[in-house]
Amino acid sequence: MVGAFDFAAAVPLLPFASFVVAILAGYFTPRLLPKGGAIPGIIATGGSLLLSGWLLVTVSGTATFNEEIYTWTTGMAGETFDLSFGILIDPLSSYMLVIVALISFLVHVFSLGYMNDEGETGLPRYYAGLGLFSFSMLAFVMASNILMAFMFFELVGLCSWLLIGFWFREPGPPSAAKKAFLVTRFGDYFFLIGVVAIFATFGTGLFAPRGDELGFPQLAADVLAGEAVPVVSNFLGTIGLGAETWFAIMGLLVLGGVIGKSAQFPLHTWLPDAMEGPTPVSALIHAATMVAAGVYLIMRMFGFYAQLPRVLALIALVGGFTALFAASIALVKREIKQVLAYSTISQYGYMMLALGAGGYVAATFHLMTHAIFKALLFLGAGSVIIAMHHNENMWDMGGLKDKMPVTYYTFLSGSLALAGIFPFAGFWSKDEVLYEALIHGLNDPIILLAYAMGLVAVLFTGFYTFRMVILTFHGEARTETAEDPHGVRWNVKFPLVVLGILAATVGFVNMAPVKELTGMDITYLHHWFENGIHEVTLGEYHHLLEEVAGYHAADLAPFLPAALSLGLALLGAGLAWILYSGPEPTAHTDKLGSIKTLLYNNYYQDEYQVWLAEGVTMPIARVADKFDQGIIDGVVNAISSIALFSGSRIRRLQTGRVTNYAAMLTLGLVVIVLVVALVGGWF
Amino acid sequence: MMIEALLVVTVASAVAVMFADEEIAGRLAFGLSLLPLAGSLLMLLGFDGSGNALLGGNIAYETQVDWISLGDITVGYHVGVDGISIALLVLTTVLMSLAILSAWTPIDERQSQFYGLMLFMEASLIGVFTALDFLAWFVAWEFVLVPMYFLIAIWGGPRRKYAAIKFFVYTNVASLVMFIGFIALVFGLGDSITSLGLPEIAQALHAGQLGSLAGIAPETLKAVAFVAMFAGFAVKVPLVPFHTWLPDAHVEAPTPVSVILAGVLLKMGTYAMLRFNFTMLPDQAVAFAIPIAIFAVISVIYGAMLALAQQDLKRIVAYSSISSMGYVLLGLVAYNLYGLGGATFQMVAHGLISGLMFMSVGVIYNVAHTRMVGDLSGIADRMPLTATIFTAAAFGYMGLPLMAGFAGELYIFLGGMQSTVLPGAQLFTAVAMFGIVIVAGYLLLAMQRVLFGPFDADTDHEIVPAAVTDRVSIVVLLLLVILLGTAPDLIYGIIQDAVQPILTIGGGF
Repeated sequence: MVGAFDFAAAVPLLPFASFVVAILAGYFTPRLLPKGGAIPGIIATGGSLLLSGWLLVTVSGTATFNEEIYTWTTGMAGETFDLSFGILIDPLSSYMLVIVALISFLVHVFSLGYMNDEGETGLPRYYAGLGLFSFSMLAFVMASNILMAFMFFELVGLCSWLLIGFWFREPGPPSAAKKAFLVTRFGDYFFLIGVVAIFATFGTGLFAPRGDELGFPQLAADVLAGEAVPVVSNFLGTIGLGAETWFAIMGLLVLGGVIGKSAQFPLHTWLPDAMEGPTPVSALIHAATMVAAGVYLIMRMFGFYAQLPRVLALIALVGGFTALFAASIALVKREIKQVLAYSTISQYGYMMLALGAGGYVAATFHLMTHAIFKALLFLGAGSVIIAMHHNENMWDMGGLKDKMPVTYYTFLSGSLALAGIFPFAGFWSKDEVLYEALIHGLNDPIILLAYAMGLVAVLFTGFYTFRMVILTFHGEARTETAEDPHGVRWNVKFPLVVLGILAATVGFVNMAPVKELTGMDITYLHHWFENGIHEVTLGEYHHLLEEVAGYHAADLAPFLPAALSLGLALLGAGLAWILYSGPEPTAHTDKLGSIKTLLYNNYYQDEYQVWLAEGVTMPIARVADKFDQGIIDGVVNAISSIALFSGSRIRRLQTGRVTNYAAMLTLGLVVIVLVVALVGGWF
Repeated sequence: MMIEALLVVTVASAVAVMFADEEIAGRLAFGLSLLPLAGSLLMLLGFDGSGNALLGGNIAYETQVDWISLGDITVGYHVGVDGISIALLVLTTVLMSLAILSAWTPIDERQSQFYGLMLFMEASLIGVFTALDFLAWFVAWEFVLVPMYFLIAIWGGPRRKYAAIKFFVYTNVASLVMFIGFIALVFGLGDSITSLGLPEIAQALHAGQLGSLAGIAPETLKAVAFVAMFAGFAVKVPLVPFHTWLPDAHVEAPTPVSVILAGVLLKMGTYAMLRFNFTMLPDQAVAFAIPIAIFAVISVIYGAMLALAQQDLKRIVAYSSISSMGYVLLGLVAYNLYGLGGATFQMVAHGLISGLMFMSVGVIYNVAHTRMVGDLSGIADRMPLTATIFTAAAFGYMGLPLMAGFAGELYIFLGGMQSTVLPGAQLFTAVAMFGIVIVAGYLLLAMQRVLFGPFDADTDHEIVPAAVTDRVSIVVLLLLVILLGTAPDLIYGIIQDAVQPILTIGGGF
């Protein structure tokens, strides 16, 4: 029977087709390409969305799919392993596919308003980039092994480079694109070592068992449980390391890629610069594609990480720290997109915190709610930027509330979700993240520290979110543009309304604290992840966390922690309201003095990284070049000049005069006689 | 008879083009170069060899004719291909046709001689990759230098004489060192061989028939021969510190010649290392594993750092070739299936990608008449297709998945990580892999400055879209790179089959 799984490959291939159409038609017959490629893109991502929905429904009937579809490299039987592409559709990937397809579809629609209506040139290139981006991300999500995941992870990086640098005629975007690719490449360097190490160790890169073949997380579990796995023990013998140590090293290596893509400290610096790209691209990058790829990777191989307590603790610490660190920078930013950029870094920090604390469901939940509200906020910001004729400074806005009500109310919905205000989506998910961190943190001081940082970040989040809302939409218009904003059309409003409704409501799928109050068990997401391929389900993860990693949850009711974080969020929002409401708000952050300068300059993180690249690496390269041309090539040339010089001297002997030759002959004869005499001992 | 047909047709074409009219030389050469291309593709399609040509495998398209006897040794003509050589043979014919096509725009004087020499070079390269008799192989190996010397010395840039002589002398001295090393082995084998056939010599060495020579014990003789041959080939690859001829040669050579130089000539070095050092003397390859790995890692990292310091696009690509060839050596020294197979695959992949990269630089140079990074800015605006292909080529060079370079590098890294022969292989591999970050650094920086940003060109020439032939050649090459990246099995299967016997017969390392 033909089912949804037969069409699984079409989910990424449809956007790929739109990429090909946009490239070819854009080059040969641009006039025949409807809306510069937007229409094929919308049709393709719409198709992907429908198919993903179908897959989700199929998976909800507890069916799963894990098959190889293409052998990329055939190894030699008995000697090496194959490298192949495969599709893994289970509760996690089908859930993520819907998120990615939805956001990409809405971003395509929104682009009609942001790019086409604004009369941009190079539209086929833009839509080709979006198509390739969606393709890469969707293929990454359904990858059944870590090599395929890496390959599409890299392609996602390429697409971000293409789209961040879309306005290539200006100096800023190409530079930002380069930085984004380079910083994430630095992380991917570690990831690739990790991928290669996983294959070398386990002989497979599968995430989940396929037929009789076990995936690498399961093999790792067997090894740690003391079972004999010859492939692994041979390799461990070669390198001379214990299983636990080596697995932890591999976990850390892969984590390098995650930290780069998900913009965690210290590799977060590329993300704020990436705002140079068109705003719909920012929405796509931040909500559902590039940045999400990092944390998704940890979720995909959570069975592996769940066995590595020290790595988990580090993930939690990085996450908690990043959440706080980025939120503090967002407090003082002037441009609306900069605030959103740092809030993205901060929110992904929460997901890392949840994963590190063992809160798998919390992390996936926050990934979804964040995807929706952050896409909404970026698209809302895009709408504002259209209205403001591409001025992004919030201090030039004000009073837009009455002039663009659809944007305002949807943006408000997204902001309430971001700040984590009851009952918007972000409240439920962020609350669960913090709850998981707390109950595991009570048994582990590192996670408790991470929790504490995440909790303070809630206060900051409430503050910067409402500072942004108030400065943008409330008060009086502070410039002429803000008084008479440019209108937006349905293609901008439609995505905003869809996302605005979702941002208010999706949180209801998983309301853990409600159980305590009413006795109703509304934790659909928990149940969702309990099904699927046994080895990659919630039950197995909890088992591994408790048995192998030694994670134990403290017994604590969810209500009080929830009230605490909601209280902090409200406090932050209230502070912002007090400080910035009114017709003529003042820049209160200036009163922070040097702290503001420090925050405004992002703790000088960019400076030291640029210094590493330009102040350290480049001079070393130039010294190497001097050394190469002076010393190494100098030696080569010196040897050849000695040869030429001695050649030219010896040539002088060939004078052509018979007397000289006679003299040479005589001299030669005397020398020979002398040598023979000396050796023969005549004297 | 296929190989003889290839050789005869190519030489005849070369002669015909030499004496052809200036106006038609380019078109004639391209048309005639399609013959060996078609021939080699037919050979690939009909390839029925298996195993390694030197180790008793089933050699495809084999011909063996005895020529003269020198004492006990019969010297003859012996050609044939296995999975390793057919891959490089096809690389040669493909790149040569495209290089000739890309020469139409830049080469405007003494055309018939130029194209004639290119075809002569093709014939000698075919000889290098198909010869199975040492003397025939060595003649072809040396003969490659002759057309190359003239191609650089006549059609090159301002310092062409210096670069050509440096190239010729350097590689020739290296050939001499290598020759001495190999001949020492031949004398050491003494009566146990009856010809200079490479398979016979390889198998005699494996059978332990090497005797002592002039009082030198067989083990020492092996080590000395290994080092001499390695040093000789290292100049060709080139490995740091024997690399300084390469940037000079590349900068001075006209672009189509650079394409062949980087795309095929450098592979002669690693091909010969694989055939001689790693196939004939596997125990020495294992004994010298650590120093070789150090050479490999230094070439990768140091070459990439040098590329970072350059301002001339061609110099950037030249130094990055040194870096990429270091990976090939790493694969060889890993000495397992993915390592050796990956090294061979990388030779083909890097041949295509470096050819593409040089051609793209050449296309820009043909229009702008400058290659300096500081002279050009934002030319993507005026040459959109070229900029697109340049970008794709650069990402291919960075090892973007689904392009050929990624497959080659991945196999090498897998081999390196799994190696049981090289002590500390995991660490060597991890350090060498850092090259993938540096390569992204210098190529992205160069692209940002040359292709993007506000348009500006410090040149007297107008920046307009490139000639159609230039665009066709880079598009075709790009498609090949993508094809091999999405379906590496097209050639990896036969390569793997040909390198596998090296591991088993070589003493079971």
